[in-house]
Amino acid sequence: MTAIRDWLAFAGTRRGELLEQIGVHLELVLVSLGLATLIGVPLGMFAASRRTRRTPVMAAVGILQTIPSLALLSLALVVVGEIGVKPALIALTLYGLLPIVRGTVTGFDAVPPASLAAADALGMTRWQKRLRVELPLAIPNILAGVRTAAVIGVGVATLAAFVGGGGLGVFINRGLSLSDSRLVLLGAIPAALLAIAVDGSLAALSWGLQPVRESDRTKWSGRLRPVALSVPIVLLAASVWPIVVSPADDDAITIGSKKFGESLLLGEIVAQLIEDRTDIPVVRSFTLGGTLICHESLVSGALDMYPEYTGTALKTIVGGEASGDPAAVQRQIERGTDTHPGYNALGLRWMPPFGFENTYALAVRPEDADDNGWESIIDLVPDAGRLTAGFESEFNGRADGYPALRKQLGLTFGTVADMEASLMYQSLADGQVDVISAYSTDGRLDTFGLLALDDSTSFFPPYDAAMVVREQTLQRHPELVAIFDDLAGRLDAETMRKLNGRIDQDGDDPAAVAREWLQAAGLVDQSTVARRSTTDARRAASGSAQSVHRGHSPPFQTSSSKPDSFASRLIGAGLRSETISMNDSYGVCTE
Amino acid sequence: MPVGTISDRSGAPAAETSAGGEAIVLDRVSKSFDRGLTFALDEVSLAIHPGETLVLLGSSGSGKTTLLKSINRLHEIDGGRVLVGGRDVIELDVVELRRRIGYVFQGIGLFPHQRVLQNVETVPKLLGWSRKRRRERARELLDMVGLPPKRFERRLPCELSGGQRQRVGVARALAADPDTILMDEPFGALDAVVRERLQGEVRRISREMGKTVVLVTHDLFEALAMADRIAVMHDGRLEQCASPAELAANPATEFVAELLETPSRLMDRLHDDGSLGADDSVRGTRLVHPRTQRTGDVA
Repeated sequence: MTAIRDWLAFAGTRRGELLEQIGVHLELVLVSLGLATLIGVPLGMFAASRRTRRTPVMAAVGILQTIPSLALLSLALVVVGEIGVKPALIALTLYGLLPIVRGTVTGFDAVPPASLAAADALGMTRWQKRLRVELPLAIPNILAGVRTAAVIGVGVATLAAFVGGGGLGVFINRGLSLSDSRLVLLGAIPAALLAIAVDGSLAALSWGLQPVRESDRTKWSGRLRPVALSVPIVLLAASVWPIVVSPADDDAITIGSKKFGESLLLGEIVAQLIEDRTDIPVVRSFTLGGTLICHESLVSGALDMYPEYTGTALKTIVGGEASGDPAAVQRQIERGTDTHPGYNALGLRWMPPFGFENTYALAVRPEDADDNGWESIIDLVPDAGRLTAGFESEFNGRADGYPALRKQLGLTFGTVADMEASLMYQSLADGQVDVISAYSTDGRLDTFGLLALDDSTSFFPPYDAAMVVREQTLQRHPELVAIFDDLAGRLDAETMRKLNGRIDQDGDDPAAVAREWLQAAGLVDQSTVARRSTTDARRAASGSAQSVHRGHSPPFQTSSSKPDSFASRLIGAGLRSETISMNDSYGVCTE
Repeated sequence: MPVGTISDRSGAPAAETSAGGEAIVLDRVSKSFDRGLTFALDEVSLAIHPGETLVLLGSSGSGKTTLLKSINRLHEIDGGRVLVGGRDVIELDVVELRRRIGYVFQGIGLFPHQRVLQNVETVPKLLGWSRKRRRERARELLDMVGLPPKRFERRLPCELSGGQRQRVGVARALAADPDTILMDEPFGALDAVVRERLQGEVRRISREMGKTVVLVTHDLFEALAMADRIAVMHDGRLEQCASPAELAANPATEFVAELLETPSRLMDRLHDDGSLGADDSVRGTRLVHPRTQRTGDVA
């Protein structure tokens, strides 16, 4: 009982964001359902009218259904070439087709032959027969198909978050990447309730459309019918309304972030600083699915900026061998390589670095380091044979991870265990493993009192964090440059570990963490904070990292792990025949 | 062979008149199935006078329903001509033609999703009558067929008995005030009492309104009760067409003679589908077409 009460209290603090995402979710489901019905019913009528047409049509929509939903989303993403609602709507629409087409075919098959004969004999044209006799008689079956499609749609729409389509999947993804089951439930429970509600309102519609027997007619049924008929219409209107009403805010700046706490925090810091110092409206499009989704959105203009790491950009976007020198890496990504254009050519500018890098690090217990005199990675080599390493499976596999350690440094551990990122730190602290592949700004290094060994040989490439901004955005708003200059070098690795810890371990709201740090660092002046307190209070109350400015596209939000890297891989394969993988919850997003 | 010289076997009184005065003229109408191997209709010629009730009598497979459906082109014929109101139906718009001719059939075919009133209004609506006019017309007809609109107009077909449904079917066929009504075994599904009552009422209505009725049945007694003239069909051919009295007095063929001689024996043995089974005593009057036995009822 207390668990339920706690969760309800937690959900209460997120009410604003929850309602917004329910709205987005409903919008995705109902708009795609409407599209699927508009396509599926005529398609079903086409298929039902002749036996020879039925097989190919049913086979085609059947095949669509067999494509895993994530793959379909990713394909839609590749086809549309942008993130957001569009690919999600396309995938959801295709997914809804099968039940609707099947329902339509079943419905037309079930029309009594006597009614068809009567329609002919009374002199109806082919279309009059279709629309006045067959279609109305098929409606219960068609609606049954629509209901099935709707319930499927509510489920599949939780995946829309992977391609920045928003919806309740945002909570599920964020919850999965932050290992917070309360967040997962915040997405899952409303999604389940939404499925019941949508199904119920369509059942009401079906009932409302069904002719009532004269003998069953009561005062009540007469009054309830219009209500039943209007329920789905009201729902649809309510969900489409924001699209229609919200003005396209061309002047707004859209800030993106990747799906882990640190990226979100950086996005939030910049967003708040822009809001504080300028009047430019800011749209937060946080927790996007991966490096390539962020990058492509930036190139296409869907985003104006997002925080990126130099090493990631080098490996994933530009391609090329990393040197240990940060300045050299910076030059390399700006100029590009023979095969890939650099950031300059793409019209993207790197802002001054925030002052920390988030790279791979090998972490050990400090007492072991004292006992054995370990200071940097290279010191592990003589003792490696008797040590147990716990590595994330990705670090274990990727070319610049453990294989490179073995090859280049001759560092071969006695035992290597594949571990979840969230378990590694705890396991090291508990003594189950001796070395882990940590991230240099992970708050858990501090929490568990662990030591990240120096990378004196510059084995890992530099991963300096900085904002990447569109050249056009800077020309439109030159005042932004000063903001980034102010932020330059203000965040060191130690500060980041502390702030990350608050978000990842304590579960603090990134917006609140960002605000406190901005105040503490003196970047926002207290009086301005007071002036803006109403908006801040609202955001704090909703616990939301989301802005209320939505523009014409709902907030793109994504996060999470496996499915996501799958999606990104697919896109990666489509875009540049090179796979990328995203790491689970922390900084280094490279190949 | 022109319409005017129809063979004796047809016994058509229309033989000497021109097509102009007849409601419907069938002129050597042929229709075959199985790529010409079996004839459903074999050069049937027949003229139907305005205002008369003509019964097409025959067993399943005799071609009576095929003949009926060729009138409003629910079946297209292979040879011959069908004239309605003096015009060849092939030249008429098929939809227009059907709206001008009322149609009632055994399955009734009321639209289950529409209320009684809407069902009756179907054809007037197709013809674009005003809402007020078709409402008035539908209520008038419901009254006429014995279903007070106050009680019945808002019911769904599933809330009616079989007889009530058929009454609605008749009202629907009459809605746009067609000159001609085609009825395909209209009372077949009804129990005897209801059937008899409806037969009488339809007879009365069609007489009062001066409608031309072409009614298909396998039931000799229904034919006798309703018909001004009976056209006896057998094996896709017209055996004889004459008034019931004339048929009894001067049967043109052995088939007709036996048919009318054995009504009492037939009455006991007639199955629903019009077959007589394999009883020796009636073998000579077997009404079942050989094709029907092989391929099932196509009527």
